[in-house]
Amino acid sequence: MNKINRLMCSLVIIGTALLLSGCWSKKELTDLAIVAALGIDKNEEGRYVGTLQIINPGNVAGGMQGGGGTQGPPVSVITGTGDSIVELSRRTSRKLSRRLYYAHTNLVVISEELAKEESISSILDPLERDAEFRSTAIIVIAQGEKASDIVKILTLIDKIPANKVIKTLKFTERTWGENISVSMQEAIKTLVSPGKELAVSGFRISGDVDKGKKMENTQQTEPSSLLYTGSLAIFKKGKLIAWIDGETARGSVFLLDKLNASAIAVKWERKDEAMVYELIRQKTKVMAKMEKGKPIVSIKVQAEGNIGEARVPIDLTNPDVLLKVEKVIEKEIKKEITMAVKQAQKNRSDIFGFGEALHRTNPKEWKKIAAKWNDIYFPEVKIDIVVDAFIRRTGLRNNPHQVNK
Amino acid sequence: MTMSLFSLSKKMKKLKIQKKPAQQHDLPAKALQSSLQEQIDYIKEKTGNSIDVVIRKLQLGDGKSAAVVFVEGIADSKAINDFLIESIMNKHPVHNSQPIFEILLKEVVALGDVKEITDWDNLYLSLMSGESIILVDGAQKALSASTRGGEHRSIQEPGSQVTVRGPRDGFTESIRTNTALIRRRIQNPDLWLENMKIGSVTKTDVSMMYIKGIAKDEIVEEVRNRLKRIEIDSILESGYIEQLIEDQPFTTFPTLYHTERPDMVAGNLLEGRVAIIVNGTPFVLIAPAVFIQFFQSVEDYYGRADIATALRFLRILIFFISIIAPAAYIAVTTFHQEMIPTQLLVAIAAQRETVPFPALVEALIMEVSFEILREAGVRMPRAVGSAISIVGALVIGQAAVQAGIVSPAMVIIVAITAIANFATPAFAVAISARLIRFGFMFAAATFGFYGIILGVIILAVHLCSLRSFGVPYLTPMAPLIPANLGDTIVRLPMWAQKKRPRLFSDNKENRVGDNQKPQPSQSRGMVNSALEKGDQDEQN
Repeated sequence: MNKINRLMCSLVIIGTALLLSGCWSKKELTDLAIVAALGIDKNEEGRYVGTLQIINPGNVAGGMQGGGGTQGPPVSVITGTGDSIVELSRRTSRKLSRRLYYAHTNLVVISEELAKEESISSILDPLERDAEFRSTAIIVIAQGEKASDIVKILTLIDKIPANKVIKTLKFTERTWGENISVSMQEAIKTLVSPGKELAVSGFRISGDVDKGKKMENTQQTEPSSLLYTGSLAIFKKGKLIAWIDGETARGSVFLLDKLNASAIAVKWERKDEAMVYELIRQKTKVMAKMEKGKPIVSIKVQAEGNIGEARVPIDLTNPDVLLKVEKVIEKEIKKEITMAVKQAQKNRSDIFGFGEALHRTNPKEWKKIAAKWNDIYFPEVKIDIVVDAFIRRTGLRNNPHQVNK
Repeated sequence: MTMSLFSLSKKMKKLKIQKKPAQQHDLPAKALQSSLQEQIDYIKEKTGNSIDVVIRKLQLGDGKSAAVVFVEGIADSKAINDFLIESIMNKHPVHNSQPIFEILLKEVVALGDVKEITDWDNLYLSLMSGESIILVDGAQKALSASTRGGEHRSIQEPGSQVTVRGPRDGFTESIRTNTALIRRRIQNPDLWLENMKIGSVTKTDVSMMYIKGIAKDEIVEEVRNRLKRIEIDSILESGYIEQLIEDQPFTTFPTLYHTERPDMVAGNLLEGRVAIIVNGTPFVLIAPAVFIQFFQSVEDYYGRADIATALRFLRILIFFISIIAPAAYIAVTTFHQEMIPTQLLVAIAAQRETVPFPALVEALIMEVSFEILREAGVRMPRAVGSAISIVGALVIGQAAVQAGIVSPAMVIIVAITAIANFATPAFAVAISARLIRFGFMFAAATFGFYGIILGVIILAVHLCSLRSFGVPYLTPMAPLIPANLGDTIVRLPMWAQKKRPRLFSDNKENRVGDNQKPQPSQSRGMVNSALEKGDQDEQN
C-alpha cells in the first residue's frame, strides 16, 4: 500500500512538472515566418500601417538546395493595417501562410511623421510586452521617408535589409560617430527617465524607391536605391522635435560617451583642415552640481588618437609641436561639444542626461526641479568643458613630405 | 478458471525447482572401484566413448597393470609422454614394501602438481580440466597430474582498448595465462588468488584476485559471496558473471568494469579493487566500478598529467554530446528558434524548407539508419564491411540530403554524435549513451530544452542511486571525498596522488613518499663546472 502511495505521489509530481511547464508550444521551422524588420507608419485615416520584412530562407542561404539561392528576393514584405500594433500584426495572417515569428526581429523603423505626431512609447509598449519580441531590437526613424519604404529596399552585400541597417549603424557609430544605434531597451529606459531625453538615428533612402524594391537593385555595382544613415533625431517627451547632424551630432555622441573612433579635421597655421586627428578611443565624464540654485555641468573628455593626415609642413618629431597640435585638437573637440549643447538647449531637450547626472549628485535638489528641468533649468545650464587630447602615434611616417625640402 | 491456471503454473514452477537439484547431482559421488577394468569401463560409459578421451594402459614394474587417462587437446601431450608414460614405463620399483602410490608420487611422476583422488566427482573434474589421471589396478584411489595445456591463442595486443603508449600485451582465453600476466606486474605475495568453479554443466574456472591489505575486506567478502551464490548451468563469458552479480540490473550503465588489459587490472588492484577472471574469455571484470572510471584510459597515467586532465574534460564533453546533440538540435529547431543567431536560423530554415518531416522524425530517420549502418559494419564479414560503409556513406551522407529527406545540418549532427560516441573510451558506457540518446530525443521533441533538463536531472538522480558492490557510483564526487579528487576528471601528477580511493581501500598508507615532486638540482655548480670545462677544452 505504502509503495502504491509513493508511486502515485511521484506520478502526480512528475505529471504536474510536465504539464505546468508551459513549454508545450512546439513550432516547426517550416511553419514560421521569420520577421527581420518591422516598419510602422500611420495612414491618412489615422490607423497604424505595419510593414513586415519576412525572410525567405531559401533565397538567403540557398547553398546546395534548389541550385543556388538567388532566384527570388531574400525577403518578402507584408503589410497590415490596424488601430493598434497587435491588431495589425494579427491581421496580416490573412495574407500569410505562416505564423509570424518576432524573436529575430532586430529592427524597428518608425516613420518621421508618426514620431512627430505621437509619443513613440505607445508604439514600443506592445513590442516590449510581447514575449517573443526582443528588447535588443534597434530603433531607427525613417527620415523624410515612409517606414514601409525603408523596409522594402533590397540591399547588396548583406542580403537581409534589416541586417544591413543594423550593421551600418553599428559600424558608422564606431568609425565615424555621427550616429548611434539605440536598442528598444535603451530607448524605453531613456523615455521613462525624467532627466534624459531620447536621441535616435534616422535612416534615409537615396535614389528611386520603386527601383529599390526590385531584384535588379542588387544586381548592379551601383544600386539605384540605397539605404544610408541620416541625422540624429532629438525627442522631447517621446515626440520627435528636431534633427541634428554633422559636427553637432558628433558632439552629442561625444557627450553620450558613445564615440569610439572618428576623424577630426583641425586647422594648423591658418590652413583649414590641415591635419586630421584619428580618434581611437575616448572617455567622457559628465558631472553636474547645483550652485546658487543654478545647475553647473562639468564635462571632462579624455581623447586618444593618431595623426591620420598632415597636409602642411610640420615637424611632427618635435614633442613641443605635438603638444601644440594637441591643444588645437582639444579646441576643436570643445567646439563640437559646445555646439551640441547649445543646439540641445535651443530645443529644450536634455538628450545628454545632464538631469540624470544632477540627480545622482544632488537628489534632494533634483526632486524640486525635475518637473521644470527641460524647459527652465536645462536651457540655462552652464557648462565647463575640459578636453585632454593625446597623440599616441603619428602613423607610420614621422614628418610630411614637404618638411624635408 | 483463471485461478486454476494460475495455481497450475505455480505448481509447475515448484516442480521445476524440485527437479533441478536432481539433475545437478547426476554424477554419483561415490568412491572409486578397485578393479582397473571396472574403472576404465565406468569412465568409458560416463564419457560416452568419446574418442578424445584417451585411455593408455601400461604395465608397472611389479607387474601391476595401470592406465593413464587424459583428454586429448586440453592436456599437454608432450608432458604426458615425457614425464608420465615414459617415466612409469622405465621405472622398476625395487622395494615393494612401500604402497605403490607413494612410489609413483615420490619417484615416478615428474610433474609439479600431483594429487590423490578417491571419488569419481573429483576425478571427472580433474580429467575435464585437462589433468591426467593415473589409475592402478587394485587401488581404490587415483592420481591426478597437472598436465593442462593444449593449443590456445598467444598473447596479442588487445583489440578493444588500444593505446599509443603502454604495454602491448592483452589477456587471452586461458585463465592461467591471464593470472600470470597480472602476477608479473605485481610481484608480491600479498596478491591473492581464489579459485572456484561456477556452472553446473560447464564447471568454468572463475578466479577472484585482490591484494590482501589493500583491498577492503568487506568488498572482497561481498564479491566472494556474490560469486558463491551463483547457480547457473553455464558461464561462457565474464558477461554472464556480470549480469549475475551486479547491484542494479535495471540500468543501462555498467556497474562492473571489463577490460582486456593486464596493466589496467594491475592498476585497479593497487587501488584496492577486486578482479574477477573467467576462463575462456580475455575480458576480466573489475569491481567495484565507479562512473568516472569509464572516462579514464590507462594512457592517462602514462602520459603527462596536464594533457590527461584536458583529455578527461574532453571525454566528459564527448559523453554529453553523444547523449544530447540530436536532442538539442530538435529542441532548438522546434521550440527555441530564438536561441540561435538569426543567420544560423535562416541557414537551418533554408535546409528544412524542403524536408517533409518534423525535426524529430528527421532525426529518428538519421539516427536509426546510422545505427543500422553501424550494426551492419560490426557484424559483416571483414571483406564486405568496406562495401557497407561506402553504400552507407553515399546513402546517408549525400543521397538522403539530395532527395530532400533530411537536411545537411541533421547529417552533421548525426555525424558528430556518432564520432563522439566512438571516442568514449569505455564501450560499455558508449553503448548506454547510444540508448539513452533516443529517450532524450523524445523528451526534447515533447518539451524542448525543458525536457532535456528534466532528462538530465533524472539521469543524475539515477546515477546517484546506483551502487557498485555497495560503493556509490559517483564516488568521489558524490559523496564528496576531497582526498580522492586527484584522480577523477583531473589527473594530478603521480607525486601528488597520495591516497588510495577511500571507499574501497582500507589502506591508509601514502602511495608515494613525501617530497617526490621533481625539481632542478639546488646548485648550478654542476652546469657551471661543465661549462668551464668546455671553455678550457676549447682554449686547449
